[in-house]
Amino acid sequence: MTLTIVSLLPGLQNTNGDAENAAVLAARAKWAALAVQLVAVESHADLPDRVDAVVLGSGSDASLDSSRAVLLTMHDELRRWATEGVPMLAVGTGWELLSWGIERPDGTGIEGLGIVPGRAVPRRSRITGDLVVASPRFGILVGFENHSRDYVGAEGSPLGRVRVGSGNGRDSAQEGVVMGNVVGTHLHGPVLAKNPALADDLLGSAAARAGVEYRPGAQASVVDGYAEAAREAQLSRARAAASAMNP
Amino acid sequence: MRYAPAILVGRCVRFAARLRKPGGGSAVPGLIVNRIAPGYLKRTLSGFPQGLVVVSGSSGKSTTTKMLVAILRAHSVDVFTNPSTANISQGLTSALLERADWRGRVPGDVAVLEMDEGHGALVMQGVDARVVTLMNVMVDQIDRFHDSEMVAGMLGRIAARAGETVVVNADDAYLERLAGRVRPGVDVRRFGVSQDVLDSTTRGLGYTETTPERFEGDGVRVESVTGRGATISDGRSTVSIELPARGVHYAVDAAAAYATARAVLGDRFSADTAARALSEIPAVFGRGERVTVRGHEVEFVLVQNPASYQLNIDSITPGTEQLLFAMGSDVRDPSYFWPTDAASLGRVSIVSGSKAAEAALMLAYDGVVIDRVEPDLARALDDFLAAPAPGSGVKTIVFTADAMRRTRAHLGLRGAE
Repeated sequence: MTLTIVSLLPGLQNTNGDAENAAVLAARAKWAALAVQLVAVESHADLPDRVDAVVLGSGSDASLDSSRAVLLTMHDELRRWATEGVPMLAVGTGWELLSWGIERPDGTGIEGLGIVPGRAVPRRSRITGDLVVASPRFGILVGFENHSRDYVGAEGSPLGRVRVGSGNGRDSAQEGVVMGNVVGTHLHGPVLAKNPALADDLLGSAAARAGVEYRPGAQASVVDGYAEAAREAQLSRARAAASAMNP
Repeated sequence: MRYAPAILVGRCVRFAARLRKPGGGSAVPGLIVNRIAPGYLKRTLSGFPQGLVVVSGSSGKSTTTKMLVAILRAHSVDVFTNPSTANISQGLTSALLERADWRGRVPGDVAVLEMDEGHGALVMQGVDARVVTLMNVMVDQIDRFHDSEMVAGMLGRIAARAGETVVVNADDAYLERLAGRVRPGVDVRRFGVSQDVLDSTTRGLGYTETTPERFEGDGVRVESVTGRGATISDGRSTVSIELPARGVHYAVDAAAAYATARAVLGDRFSADTAARALSEIPAVFGRGERVTVRGHEVEFVLVQNPASYQLNIDSITPGTEQLLFAMGSDVRDPSYFWPTDAASLGRVSIVSGSKAAEAALMLAYDGVVIDRVEPDLARALDDFLAAPAPGSGVKTIVFTADAMRRTRAHLGLRGAE
């Protein structure tokens, strides 16, 4: 049984390197001695027959319409994957496109695909910086955020509580959305490399659905040592910055 | 006379700064002059008899500026230029002060400035340029420049200051769109590569969006690149040049400098003189240079943004035995480096710098074997250089800008670029 990891629209949706999370899942599966293939999907024709995990990264606002147009051609597949429990990680504008919709400051909007609850709404100014989230399911998640919209409507099933940063904003003190095995988040870049617990949860679900067992390989523990050091460095910096702001 | 008091204060501050840090430059004199004489920078930049030339864009502006200055000087033009680190307003004013007389006047026929795309739009407010050259749009330092639209917007504001000519990279789709929007009366000149040159690159040109077709008609075109040799044609003449290092991006920089010099010099421009000046630019290795430190030959490779990162990593001979990879605090969020691929490095002896763990994480997912992670850069450098010389090749240090400055300081090397 070969696990198939799909990187959705890496051409349009990889501004912050989020699409690389698909490669992170594939590497960890390989280290666990599982057969795995990584498939880049830029159009419906690229879709493989079987899909075990999906990563959709963030793009620029200019590519929202073109990305949405491609995603609409696979609307049925996206709905089915979400319902069937295929692990999906959607980051930034990729996540926003899977929501009910995106509101623009001028009052116009983009209709989303309605895969996850909630919608993206304008915020006064762009937020960039450290984002630390305490998630009941995945532990402490560490990364960066960089977005110009807040997210409302995820209050019933957020990814976790914000420890440092803005997250969904609007005083919710929450970040992200989780629906089954679909995770939407503002944590961009190599979020799965930096948060191996999240990666292994998604990979564990993918493996279980495929009827194989996932146990992290030896190389994963070496690499996770680097992740731990990077997390510690960022956490102590973020804590220092946060305490300087709220003494 | 108007600026004499401010210049005097600036000079005194510079003297004081030199006492504190011998040999070092400082942005503080510029900061102070900008505060007490806010019009000085604008007025001086706009005041060169043959005008101001600005080079900006995500990548290649330092090399292009250097090449352009060399071409202009070879045509006997007296050029004022800024060191590449002095491209924000304080640094720029400090650089002007270095050359200014007591009234604040800076000698020179023409000023050629490398302009940071982020600060340039601000620095250029109220400054009139004659020619603005735009290199490319790449997403750079993600916490500063959020997306390509934003970079293009900033470059558009810099280009809007050009009174005579805007020189654009015709292979960059963002810049081509920008060229379509210049004010009436402003001339657009183009440079770029031939289809053959584009086809010869394994990863393309690295721009956020490359135009689907090569430009036709007037412009300066890189016709071929072979090793360190390149041919450039301007429609009338074709010249062969030697590049400072292998790489299509150096040929593109040379074409940009050539096209800009032609716009600045008009009838005075000589293709042969330009070719000679370009070929005489000293060779560089990788992105940086080769130096001898502590009895070893060491190659320095500077990586600044994803595109230069990929090009420079690719330029390192596969199988290089001893590599030190240092990522410093200038990389606040390493996310944007993740789409690059460093697998060709194979093995890295030491990963260091304040972002050592982030760098190690990224390299490990590229499949690179890491012998040691040592966040303390001074210790990493000492140990790296203390190890016996490699059997083949040279010790190679890959670093980001901040790690480069710290490396140079630790090794007692002058001129942190």
